[in-house]
Amino acid sequence: MKAVILAAGEGTRLRPFTATEPKVMIPVANKPILEYVVNAIVKNGIRDIIMVVGYKRQKIMSYFGNGDEFGADIEYVVQKNQPPTGGTAHALYQTKNKIDEEFIVFPGDNVISKDTVSDLLENMEDYTILITRSETPSKYGVVTLKSGGEYVERLVEKPKKSPSHLISTGIYSFRPDIFDHIEKVMGEGRYDIPSAIEKVREKNEIKAIKTRGYWIDAVYPWDLLDVNRAALKKINKKYNGLIGENVMIKGNVKIGRGTRIRGGSFIEGPTIIGEGCDIGPNVCISSSSSIGDNTKIGPFTSIENSLVMNGVAIGSNSSIVNSVIGDGVKVKNNFSTYSDDKKIETDGTLHKVQDIGAMIAEDTKIGSGVTVDAGVIVGKGCEIKSGKTIREYIDSGSKVM
Amino acid sequence: MCGIVGYIGPKNTGEVLMNGLTRLDYRGYDSAGVAVSKEGEIYLQKKKGRIEDLSKKDISTGSSGIGHTRWATHGKPSDHNAHPFLDCKKEIAIVHNGIIDNFNSIKEDLINKGHEFNSETDSEVIVHLLEENYDGDFLEAFKKTVTKINGSYAILALHKDSNELLVTRNQSPMVLGIGEHENFIASDAPALLDYTKNVKYLQDGDIARITQDKIDIWNKNGEPTERKTKKIEWDAEDAEKGGYEHFMLKEIFEQPKAIHESILGRLTDFDELDFSRYNLDAVQFIACGTSAHAGFVGKYIFERIAKIPCTLEFSSEYRHSSPSDSYPLTILLSQSGETLDTIAAAREANRRGNDTLAITNVLDSSITREVDEVLYTQAGPEIGVAATKTFTTQVIMLYLLAIEMGIERNVLSKDQADNYRDELRRLPRKVESILNDKEKIREITERLSKADDTFFVGRNINYPVALEGALKLKEIAYIHAAGYPAGELKHGPFALLTENTPVIAIAVKDETFEKMLGNIGEIAARDSPVVVVGDQDKELEKLADDTYFIPQVSSLFSPLLVNVVLQLISYYTAYRLDRDIDKPRNLAKSVTVE
Repeated sequence: MKAVILAAGEGTRLRPFTATEPKVMIPVANKPILEYVVNAIVKNGIRDIIMVVGYKRQKIMSYFGNGDEFGADIEYVVQKNQPPTGGTAHALYQTKNKIDEEFIVFPGDNVISKDTVSDLLENMEDYTILITRSETPSKYGVVTLKSGGEYVERLVEKPKKSPSHLISTGIYSFRPDIFDHIEKVMGEGRYDIPSAIEKVREKNEIKAIKTRGYWIDAVYPWDLLDVNRAALKKINKKYNGLIGENVMIKGNVKIGRGTRIRGGSFIEGPTIIGEGCDIGPNVCISSSSSIGDNTKIGPFTSIENSLVMNGVAIGSNSSIVNSVIGDGVKVKNNFSTYSDDKKIETDGTLHKVQDIGAMIAEDTKIGSGVTVDAGVIVGKGCEIKSGKTIREYIDSGSKVM
Repeated sequence: MCGIVGYIGPKNTGEVLMNGLTRLDYRGYDSAGVAVSKEGEIYLQKKKGRIEDLSKKDISTGSSGIGHTRWATHGKPSDHNAHPFLDCKKEIAIVHNGIIDNFNSIKEDLINKGHEFNSETDSEVIVHLLEENYDGDFLEAFKKTVTKINGSYAILALHKDSNELLVTRNQSPMVLGIGEHENFIASDAPALLDYTKNVKYLQDGDIARITQDKIDIWNKNGEPTERKTKKIEWDAEDAEKGGYEHFMLKEIFEQPKAIHESILGRLTDFDELDFSRYNLDAVQFIACGTSAHAGFVGKYIFERIAKIPCTLEFSSEYRHSSPSDSYPLTILLSQSGETLDTIAAAREANRRGNDTLAITNVLDSSITREVDEVLYTQAGPEIGVAATKTFTTQVIMLYLLAIEMGIERNVLSKDQADNYRDELRRLPRKVESILNDKEKIREITERLSKADDTFFVGRNINYPVALEGALKLKEIAYIHAAGYPAGELKHGPFALLTENTPVIAIAVKDETFEKMLGNIGEIAARDSPVVVVGDQDKELEKLADDTYFIPQVSSLFSPLLVNVVLQLISYYTAYRLDRDIDKPRNLAKSVTVE
């Protein structure tokens, strides 16, 4: 059986973190989100994977190659001329001539586990939707079930008032005739999978399977911290680097090759530190933090529940809490972020976010003594001079003098 | 980075195994070995060196056999450390890929029980453990052994008395090839594809028993299980290249990883050399070809970072130069470590009383025995004749050395050293972003592919990069290319500039940038098409016919990024011309003749 992974979108609501890579390649616990999907599929014995790619596809293709390193045979299909919104069916349609039997479909941008996939494989029928419970169902496609709870009654996209707490994970099993249904709905100007499923439902039953496995979605930059925290739960203890004197490590902490943890540092798990990092002395990293490869963290800096990506340099005496720090960000000494409950506005809506620090996109340079307010997003490649306080969103490429 | 093959069937076992190993050459090739079982005896051939050096004595007949090719990353390549390993009674043979995490405790235990070990490897414990567990039933012994070991592994084993091969894997690939009255096993599909296209992929924890006509598989819970047979559609050559069309392109794309591996551990703790022992008042680089260009970039790096005056000599010329009164530290660069001219130069440098340091990519290669100290680039095996990732990692080593030497000589502040290290840490992702632009770079090669003559010009630290860019284009695209310092064009070569001679100009924002702009203006005025590779600039956009701007980087570190762009330019130019990119005419990977 073949698995199709839809990985062509940018993930625009995660901007500015998608400036040079698609959402599926954003690392959580030091692995791209898409790698969790591939692993979960491969661990269920499925090797043939078709990836539908589009936005910044080179990044995906050079990372996964032909799939060999991941125990898979990966074939790529390019989705050209993406429809403006909700183009999942259009993306899937690109695989039409590569599929001649029952197959399964995954979104590439949710962290899932092996169990998530086995739940589907064990009970699936011709048409299946894998569903899960959500606290915020109206962000997703909400599913109501027929009596007996086995089959789908309705699938409503992002309803204002949600009729149930069950949502579609975007994971499906289909028969190849789904492509005929997709053709029909595309003819009517609709390009999303739920519309195609509505067509299927006119004649067929659609099985709903509730998964107990992981399914974690990041829609906005602040969601990355939740996804990161969830992915870190699976980290095992493993120290490969050089650990200095009087370093205290508690819980599940994974330290990569060639990384040096200098004396007097304290690290609390679950935490992952990548390869070739230089940490300390006297650095404190507390639970649920990810530090990418080749990142440097100066003395007396504290990092808590944060996602720090690759090639980052953070000076001494800094405090990073509940924050996302993108690839290659360079910060001098005495940098402060702090965490608070915030209302953050994006695309005209206000989002209530709890306990959120700063979100700083790649290659931004920050001078000494800078403070970034809670819940503030700083774009890619900005330059912030020493001593500034940043209180609101800053566009990519800005200079704060 | 090792390869495994196994065979059971009526063919010439040694030949099948050796052919399979040769197909896995791309995974490594510093030692190899084969063991076959024949009439209740095991015959073993193993040796440090290339697969073709392996003696075929005693291994051509036999009904089953296993083989291994190794690329040592830890532990020297030697006859002893080569696979397969035999148990004390020489009844069992195994080959192994991966790492056994708990080998120390197992080994101690086995030594106490009287087992004798002949190697420094973790792999050898497996065969002795099998011997310890063997009680007439090889499969039971194998299953029991697997439960005792932790780590990542692919293991293939044979016993002299049982006509079967046993195999298991955990986080290390293993694939079974299905033939008629014969079966194959390999770590990677290319080893099988000359014989069969029907394969089964094993999954983590699977144990399989392979006989001539049958394959039994048990999953990690010990339950009998089936793994689907798949038909592979590509051929062996494609598979070795991991989906890339050429090794050269694959190796260009491996550069972010190669840089990462080469700086790993060396930025925080460079303890491989005791710099206080050497005379650091002068440095001399000696090398050939692309390595010489790396040394030439090194000259600029050392002079800038460590303030050491440097000279550069071609290996083939060094012997004929006259010795100076000073005793410079002689740094010899050779990808393979087998370049005869460079080895001869190392001997000459020793004779002159210089301290010698070799930078090479191949563990324990010939040059390592000729010099005082060796540093290894961690580029992994390079198959394409045109050097790409090894140039990059050589230059990386030179940055690392220059930083350490600058500190040793008290000319580099700690802050400045840290800044340089930060730059190095960021390089992998900057190279990656260039690679992700490959389509853009491909587009600018159309004009080049139609030219008969081209010039590459640069200034300052990017002058050697212009030389290297020109060499690559000559090597693989067979287009005449001359590398020049940009200021030298007007002293002669201007006579050659026409609308049919494209000029590739490197323009980064260092102290020579204004001058470079002037040079580009002069070239454009002669109607030559100009392709600019360098830092983003509006003026350049106006002057040039094509541009590619590299990610922001300080000019001292720009050569690596510019060079990656030039590699892709040469590659795509050669591609358009349908050249034999991985094996250009008249050239060999390691030049072992003078």
